[in-house]
Amino acid sequence: MATMAQEFSKGILKENPVFRLLLGMCPVLAVTITAINGFGMGIAATFVLLCSNIVVSLIRNVVPARVRIPAYILVIATFVTVTDLVLNAFLPALHAALGIFIPLIVVNCMIMGRAEGFARKNPLGRSIIDALGMGIGFTLALTILGIVREVLGAGTIFGLDITGTAFEPMAVFASPPGAFIALGVLLLIFNVLYKKMGLE
Amino acid sequence: MDLNLGAIIFVAILANNIVLNQFLGVCPYLGVTKRIETSLGMGMAVIFVMTIAAVVTWFIFKFILVPLDLGYLRTIAFILVISSLVQLVEIFLKKTNPTLFRALGIYLPLITTNCAILGVAILNVQMDHNIIQTIVYAIAAAIGFTIALVIMAGIRERLELANISSFLQGAAVTLVTAGIMSLSFMGFAGIMSL
Amino acid sequence: MRDSVRMAVTLLLIGGICGGFLAAVNSWTAPIIAARELAEFQETVGAFFPEVEDIEEEEIDGEEYFICYDDAGNLLGVVGSVRASGYGDDPIRYNLGVDADGTIVGIRVISHTETPGIGTFIEDESWQEDQIVGLSFDDPIAVEQDVDARSGATVTLRGITGSIRRVVDTIGDNFLGFEVETMEIDVAAVDDGTYTGTGTGFKSEVTVEVTVSGGEITEIVILDHDDTQAYWDQAEDETIARILDAQSLEVDAVSGATGSSIGIIEAVFDALN
Repeated sequence: MATMAQEFSKGILKENPVFRLLLGMCPVLAVTITAINGFGMGIAATFVLLCSNIVVSLIRNVVPARVRIPAYILVIATFVTVTDLVLNAFLPALHAALGIFIPLIVVNCMIMGRAEGFARKNPLGRSIIDALGMGIGFTLALTILGIVREVLGAGTIFGLDITGTAFEPMAVFASPPGAFIALGVLLLIFNVLYKKMGLE
Repeated sequence: MDLNLGAIIFVAILANNIVLNQFLGVCPYLGVTKRIETSLGMGMAVIFVMTIAAVVTWFIFKFILVPLDLGYLRTIAFILVISSLVQLVEIFLKKTNPTLFRALGIYLPLITTNCAILGVAILNVQMDHNIIQTIVYAIAAAIGFTIALVIMAGIRERLELANISSFLQGAAVTLVTAGIMSLSFMGFAGIMSL
Repeated sequence: MRDSVRMAVTLLLIGGICGGFLAAVNSWTAPIIAARELAEFQETVGAFFPEVEDIEEEEIDGEEYFICYDDAGNLLGVVGSVRASGYGDDPIRYNLGVDADGTIVGIRVISHTETPGIGTFIEDESWQEDQIVGLSFDDPIAVEQDVDARSGATVTLRGITGSIRRVVDTIGDNFLGFEVETMEIDVAAVDDGTYTGTGTGFKSEVTVEVTVSGGEITEIVILDHDDTQAYWDQAEDETIARILDAQSLEVDAVSGATGSSIGIIEAVFDALN
């Protein structure tokens, strides 16, 4: 049985949802035009993942196996809607920036994947740690990609101009092709890193 | 927008392709495109499910959620409809057309988590389409999806035979290829001035 | 059977709890969201017509127009949420408020990509008050006529001025019952001779010389222009050919070179008017 520390760290490195498991790709590409948007989406998804893992773990012995998928869908969709409403009320700028990808969190395979693959079979404590690890790993990946695209595409990080006039930003990175290419190159870099760390 | 249907079709397939431009349906785009036949299979299944899902969710939104002021239940309602629809389609196909079922079979459960289906359903409602525009947009978007997938599969089948560094293989090279595809599709953007 | 009952009950229970939870969150957030959206909207419309009580929305050519009424049902005016082509990559999005008499009461720029320090005068309230507010449907609303020229910012200025003219026309035509002036001339009634006239092209003034003989336009010569050559070439021969062919100014502009085409048409109208 893995230790709590291992449950937590696996989501960040060994089983990083984006760089290793290739889950939740749509929002990864879409919202990482700026670092803050990537970060915001990561936090939103982590919130949903955490809440859903908690509930799924709590009800795991009560829900008949054959209806568990619809039940999980109900739970996940509820928390996604809560996130949507709360963001719209208190962080309208982020809500507008993330747009359609907030409701699409409900089909983020990472969340259903953890519910079905982990929270369903594990006690509350472990499920929470698992959610936090995965969520942080996801947020990290989103933020890194967001930083790369923002620096290359606009010359800023989190809105702060860091390159000044010395560097002419390449708008392509703020647009769809740049997203694909940037993520592809990042994946390449991480594949090399993982091999070096012996995690292949 | 008061777009005529021709513009909707053109935009959905080329100028604003749901995969290459709107990032909807990227998971199957990366996952299923190793072979052209599997891509075609997935594409067909998506065209089928996306159209029905768009229509059903449109009706539910227009005639149940909005009149009852339950707009905030949109996400839940839509995803429940989509997953039920996929189950029903599976059962229906199994009974009536076993050959088609076997051909599409494995892709159908995968479609529930295909963000393209939910995405297009939401887009139709957000863009305030009427029922005809909804149907046309759903079919066109799904065709655009299929085209993107088939092209990618064609490229990847070739890439299999090429000598690529092991670090690039798999998702990394697929993504870079996708970037180039997306870049070329961007050329269609200027044709229609909205 | 008991299994099915258990499954159904579980799902219904979960559904019920989720639904109740969501309803609670919604009633908490909905007023906040509504208040914010109302504030944003009033920023848009109420800035022009503070007494507005009732608003109707209409879409024309992909742009939104808000028709504003006071509490007695009187028409206060119309706010157009529109776009103009300036110098930048993206269009200038702005709101224009026109009252029931066809007079511009306000303009508010929402977003633009004009060059800082050169094209950003459009956001300047003093420029707006001085140059735009107060112009009305019957005024020319044209650069160098009632809108001062600005050296170094021609494209931006002509872009926004031309757009304002178009929006005032649209509002006057669709909502205020005004008649938009069309460029019609009775060529047969024009005396023989050679006339010169000017019009506004895409980004420069167009001067033409028109020769009329025997009740027909026989020749149109371009004397001067400073539009982008590539677009001008597309427009010049074709537009002149169309006018000569139709012997009227009710001809279509060449698509892809509309600005230059309209410049030529306007100049001929000016010459023969």
